[in-house]
This record gives sequence, structure tokens and C-alpha cells, in this order.
Amino acid sequence: MSFLGYKSIIEEGDLVLAFIGRDSIKPINVKAGEILNTRYGAFPHDIMIGSKYGAQVSGSKGFGFIHLLYPTPELWSISLPHRTQIVYTPDSSYIVQRLGITAGSRVIEAGTGSGSFSHALARTVNETGKLFTYEFHESRYLEAKKEFEDHHLPNFIITHRDVCENGFDIIQNDETVDVSADSVFLDLPSPWTAIPRLKSVVAKGKRIGICCFSPCIEQVLKTVEALEAEGWTGIEMVEVAGRKWEARKDMVRTLDDALDRLRDVKRRQLEGIEKVKLIRAQRDNTPVESADVEVSSGSKREATEEADSEEPISKKARGFNPWGRGIRVREGDEAYQWFNVTRGEGEVKSHTSYLTFAHYLNFDDE
Amino acid sequence: MSELERAWSVEKTTIRAHARCLVRLPSDQLKIVELRPGGSISLGKFGAFFVDDVLGHKYGQTFEIVDDKKVIPVPGMTYTGSKDAEDDTAAAESADSAVADDLIRLALKSGVNNQEIQDLGAEVQKLSNADIEEMKKQGSSGQIGQAIIDKIIQGHDSFEKKTVFSQQKYLKRKQQKFLRRFTIDYLGASQVLQYYYGKDPGRVLDLSEESLGIMMNYANIMPGGNYLLVDETGGVILYAMLERMQGKGRVTVVHENEHPNHIVLNNSIFSAEAVDDMVKTINILNFFEPEVVVPWKELPEEEIEEYKPSKKQTYFRRKKRALELQTVVEIVKKGNFDGMIYASTLSPSTAVPRFIEKIGGSRPIVVYSPYIEVVSELSHTVSKDLRVLAPSIIATRVRPYQTIPGRIHPLMSMRGGGGYVFWGTRVFPKEGITAIGRGRKKKKLNSEEPVEV
Ligand SMILES: C[S@@+](CC[C@H](N)C(=O)[O-])C[C@H]1O[C@@H](n2cnc3c(N)ncnc32)[C@H](O)[C@@H]1O
Repeated sequence: MSFLGYKSIIEEGDLVLAFIGRDSIKPINVKAGEILNTRYGAFPHDIMIGSKYGAQVSGSKGFGFIHLLYPTPELWSISLPHRTQIVYTPDSSYIVQRLGITAGSRVIEAGTGSGSFSHALARTVNETGKLFTYEFHESRYLEAKKEFEDHHLPNFIITHRDVCENGFDIIQNDETVDVSADSVFLDLPSPWTAIPRLKSVVAKGKRIGICCFSPCIEQVLKTVEALEAEGWTGIEMVEVAGRKWEARKDMVRTLDDALDRLRDVKRRQLEGIEKVKLIRAQRDNTPVESADVEVSSGSKREATEEADSEEPISKKARGFNPWGRGIRVREGDEAYQWFNVTRGEGEVKSHTSYLTFAHYLNFDDE
Repeated sequence: MSELERAWSVEKTTIRAHARCLVRLPSDQLKIVELRPGGSISLGKFGAFFVDDVLGHKYGQTFEIVDDKKVIPVPGMTYTGSKDAEDDTAAAESADSAVADDLIRLALKSGVNNQEIQDLGAEVQKLSNADIEEMKKQGSSGQIGQAIIDKIIQGHDSFEKKTVFSQQKYLKRKQQKFLRRFTIDYLGASQVLQYYYGKDPGRVLDLSEESLGIMMNYANIMPGGNYLLVDETGGVILYAMLERMQGKGRVTVVHENEHPNHIVLNNSIFSAEAVDDMVKTINILNFFEPEVVVPWKELPEEEIEEYKPSKKQTYFRRKKRALELQTVVEIVKKGNFDGMIYASTLSPSTAVPRFIEKIGGSRPIVVYSPYIEVVSELSHTVSKDLRVLAPSIIATRVRPYQTIPGRIHPLMSMRGGGGYVFWGTRVFPKEGITAIGRGRKKKKLNSEEPVEV
């Protein structure tokens, strides 16, 4: 298993994303003898080993189902353990596309945070490229480092460093590592203090792209000023809005049905009144004005109740009930008419961050 | 380096002979050109330039046409301040720096706000179009453009009354009109999209850069992948895939005509051999009904020997094509593709379900349409299909801002469309499970219904 390729059959030691529900994807390291416990039951890892990626499996008791998915950076970003705020796919995919990051690119990322974007970057720059990622928070750094190693990302150097204080140069085994980055992504509170420290690590004789990711407009302002002061050009700030929809069905309720239903209610009310009159007449022995209503025997109480409110009628689903009021109707039930609709997600991320792009023509002293 | 590796090692840094690249003009117009050494390239009313003058420089470099097609590198498309002029010796050497200083001096004399400006339209400008045309005729030197702008400023009664901001705007507009500058950029997929979108949005199905980017990510495009593609954008999506794959892997393109339309690849950074190596094409009939493909029958050698040269050629061409098709048919038979991108006006809800069998387990299915109704219909179709997990529809829109410090705000207008992306994952339903409609509540908490997820 590696984020840099695909395989078909799950083996011991592989990472599997157990898809329990849209909002519940659990990363698991497959190990014989272990068990994945979910609210839908227990799933022994042994049934996963030898299964195909993509297979649906049932729990040990034969009920409850989950899907076993192959990890991709996009699925990972919706299943990973959050240690910080993360960059989601609508933002990260645009940044990658706009900066022209491809296989072979050399990218600087600070800070690493939860490593969400790191995975997407590592995949895209791939074996021929390199990801240089920096994190100053020690336990986050350690966790990210272990995670990237567990995930067999072959093409990264993670550095425990405050980049705003100490810059981006990397020394390994007493030698300065050639970073020569062609793209830079800064997701930290004060990118303007890191920008002046980039000169020594960006590739020479090249056009370098940068994206600074900041939630507040005040940060953008300082970032723009720092970029200008450092000779970056083509500065442009944008926001990415990602919206999501799901296919749903909405019941078609026609005006004619509504009219018919009211007619029906009215008819029943009249029936009820007639019934009451009849009962009263029978009791008082007075003649009935219009006796063309058939009266079934019943207690007075029942009759008044029916006449006074329509609620009990529909609750008992009596009378004309075109939309299944009071009955549980399954969405898409063929007894009814449906309209295909797309429903937006309940809560929308209306603001993630501002993305400030610029480029630097590092053409001098090659 | 092998022949193919060489074919794929696209130079991304230095402008080299024979490269295809993007030329940006001051008017924001774009051109895709091939840099043939010794030749010259016309930029319409902006003049023309000698290719040799730009070779060896770096992508991103701006040039100015100074004398009859001769160009020199300059710091940028417009004068932005004294810093540029100081930093770049080439610019300092050109007589422009003096003019640039003048502009800055003028800019400093600006009014604080626009209070004193009266809306007199053309009347504030004393220089007539005829005057400008006359100046243009006087020479082709690069300084002419600047001289014209200079004159325009002098002739603009209320220029000094404008604020720095509106002066800059005014200058930029004028510079765009008269400066003979252009930038040479690397021709990446985003640039290709920008170029073709600018020509006709319909031709690229109204695809936006953000939609292209998210499709590449959702489809998990990377080197070594074995992808299925239906692409009606003239090859923009294919171009983006090839760019991400950098020479490793394969894209099988399924098309509905005799030949695929990859017009975008005709003028690309990828060599024809490289594309041939990675891109396999097959039409939908051969894809879905491979039995209609007639196996190639080799004729006896003696018979071919007797052919006239032209007939012989035809024979070998047909043989080559037949064998190629055979290979693609084999690839399709194997299936197990690492994902599919589908962007076609051929109704996805009729087509995509037929492709699913060919897609490997847990691989992404990504479908693009300019219309939400189209992807929504597909979503409805597959919501009963247990082979697609968690189908969803995503739209991303980039909103650009004006980023002048102190005047940061969203731009007044942005592009409206950009398309909708369907994303789902190919899975293998457990046997014996039938589709259950949505909405039936779980009776027992522990019996997850497959459609719920
Ligand atoms: C919002 S998170 C980054 C999330 C990340 N982009 C992701 O997608 O998971 C910001 C991270 O930057 C780190 N950070 C902040 N300032 C830093 C600095 N000066 N040097 C290095 N890391 C820093 C923080 O510890 C935090 O983990």
C-alpha cells in the first residue's frame, strides 16, 4: 500500500480506509487477529486480508456492512485525525493546479499541521519530485513524521523548525540539502515573517510560485506588503468556495390532489354533521331535514371527533390521502410521484481562507 | 536517458528552440506559438519579434520590441515603480527608465481624491486619435509607445487631479494599448485551458481552472496510473492528465467519432511520440462491442511484394492501425482501470453506468458537466447502483479580489460558470445485497443498510 500507487488485494500491514458512512471513514492498519469495532458491529481484520480493495464486507455476526477503501489523499483528508485546521480538497486542488505543481515539482510547505495537504502534495510531486515540509510544534511534527513514514511517502523531508525565526535551510549529515523549491505554500499565522527567508531555498533561474493561506484580511494585507517588498510580482488574492450536493427525491404534490383532498375533508365534515343531526333526531324523535346520508352505527363521541377535526382522519390514513400523510413514506416509494432534486449540504464552508498568489522571477545570479 | 524519457523531459525553466509556449500580450490577449529558430513571430498590432532574441531566457520573462522585431528583456508588463528600473540593468540601459521616472514624478503630483475631476469624457484629452496615429507612423521603436503615453498624459488636463490609484489604472490602460511588450510563459494545462476558454468557452465545456484542478485530484491522477478518459474539451483534460503523469502510465481515451478530437495536443509541450506512447484511443463501439473488431489478417509476403508503392504504403498503414486497435481492445478487455474521468455531452447517466464494470475496486469515478442537472441525473441513476459508493456533486468557484493595500475587496465581476463535478468510488457490493431505497429508517441500529452510506 502506498499513496503513490494502487493495488487490488488487501494484505496484512496495509492501510485501509473503512467506509462506515459518509461522515465516518476510519483509517485502519490491517493486522491479523485485530478487530475493528463500529456502531454497526465488529469487523475482524482477518476478513479484510485477501479481500479486494473496494469490497463490501459484513461484520462477524453477519449483519452490518462496511466498504474497504484504498487510501487516496482526497479520502484521507476526510478521514484523518485532526491535529489542526486542515486544507480541504477544493482549496488544495486549486492551489496545486494554479501553481502548476506536477510530478517532479519541488514544493515547500509550512506548517505541516495535520498533514492533509502534505499527502496531496506528496502524491502529485510523486517519486521524481520532493516535498519539504516544516512544523514547529514538536508533537505535531513527530506525529506527522511517523504518519508519513507509515504511509510510505518516499519523497518528503519533514523538519522540526520555526520557519519564521530560523528560515527554511536544511542541514542533513553536516551538508546543506539542495532544496531548490519551485513552489511554496505557507499556512501559518504570520507568513509575512517567513517570506523574507525564502531567497536561499527557492530554485535559481526560475519562475517561483507561492500561495499564502490566511483566514483574515489583515493577514492578507501584511502578506501582500511583504511579497511586494521582497520583489514578488503578479500578486493576486482569491477565495475558493466549494459547494456540495446530493441527489434526493422530493414528492410531487399537485394542486388537483390538494383540491380533491379538501373536497374530501369537506364531504366528511358534512357527513359528520349529518350523522350528529341524525343521532340527535333519533334521540329527540324529530324529523331529519336531509336524510340522504348513510349513517353507520357508532357512538356519539366518535362521530363528533371526526366532524370537529381532520387530524384523526389523516392519522388513521382514512379518506383521500394522496401524499401518505401520517404514514411513513420511503423517499422514492413507487406508489407516489417524485421529483429528482439536488440538495445542498446542510452546512457550507462559506470561508476557509484567503489565498494570496504571487510569483518571483528568480533570474539573477544563476 | 532513453528516447522516451527524453521525449518526456519537458523543459519547464528555459525558453528553448522549437518549444511551444504561451505569449501574453499587454491587452491580456493570449497566443500559443512555436519558437522556430531563425524565424519571427507576429503579434498583430503589437508588432513582431525575432525568435532568436527570446531563446535562452527563462519562462516568465517579459520582453519589449525595441526596433524592427528586435527584443530586449524588461522587468514587467507595466512600469510599477522605480524599483524595477533600478533592479534591472537591461531596463536601465533602455531609455525607458527616464520615462518611468517621469511617470512616477507625475504620479506623485496626484490629487488626493477624485473630487476635482469633471466628467468631460474625451474633452479632457487634448491629443486626438489622428495625432496618435501620426506618432505611430513616425517609427517602430519601442520608445514610441512610451512617447505616446507621455504625450497623452501631457494632453490630459486633469491627470494630476486623479488619485494615485486612478492614475495607475489610467496608465495601465494606456500602456496596455501602446507598449510593445509581451511575456513568454510555460504552456501548462492551466495556460492551455485559459487560451481555449478565451477563444470559446463552449469548446472546453465551460471548464474552469478550479474544476480542472479538483478533477485531477479526485481522480487521483499521478505517474504510473492506468486511466480511462472521455474528453470532449478538445483534449484539455487529457493535457492536464499528461502533465501530472509526466511520462509514466497510460490514458485510454474513448471517443464517439471515427477519430478523437485532441486539437489541444496539436500545439503542445508534449512530443507526438510521447503522446502516442501514453495515449490509446478507441471508439465507443469497439469499446463496448470488441467482437466487432475484425482481427488483422496478414497477407502472404509475395502478394505484398507485387503491390505498387502507394498500395504497399496503404497496406502497412492499415496493418499498423489494426494492430494498435488490437492492443487497445486487449487493454479494455483487461479492464481494472485506475479510475475514470468523463466529460462529454453524451448523457452521463446513459454512459457512465456502462463503464463501471471496467473500473478497478476503490478507484474514483469523476464526471464533469457544465450543468448541474446532468450530473444530478447521473447521481440519481447511480444512487440505486451499489457499485458506486457515496456519489456526490461538487462545484468550486474562485472569487478574485482586488489586492491593492487599503483597497482590498472582491472584484465587481467574476466568471459565472465553471461546471459541476460528480465524484464517487467504484466498489463491489456484497453478494445478496439488494438496493434498498433511502429513507427507510434503520429498524435495528446494527443493520446498516448499504444505501444509507
Ligand atoms: C493550520 S495548520 C496547517 C494545516 C495543514 N496545511 C494541513 O492541511 O493539515 C498550521 C500549522 O503551522 C504550524 N506553525 C505555525 N507557525 C509556524 C512556524 N513559524 N514554523 C513552523 N510551523 C508553524 C502550526 O503548529 C500548525 O500546525
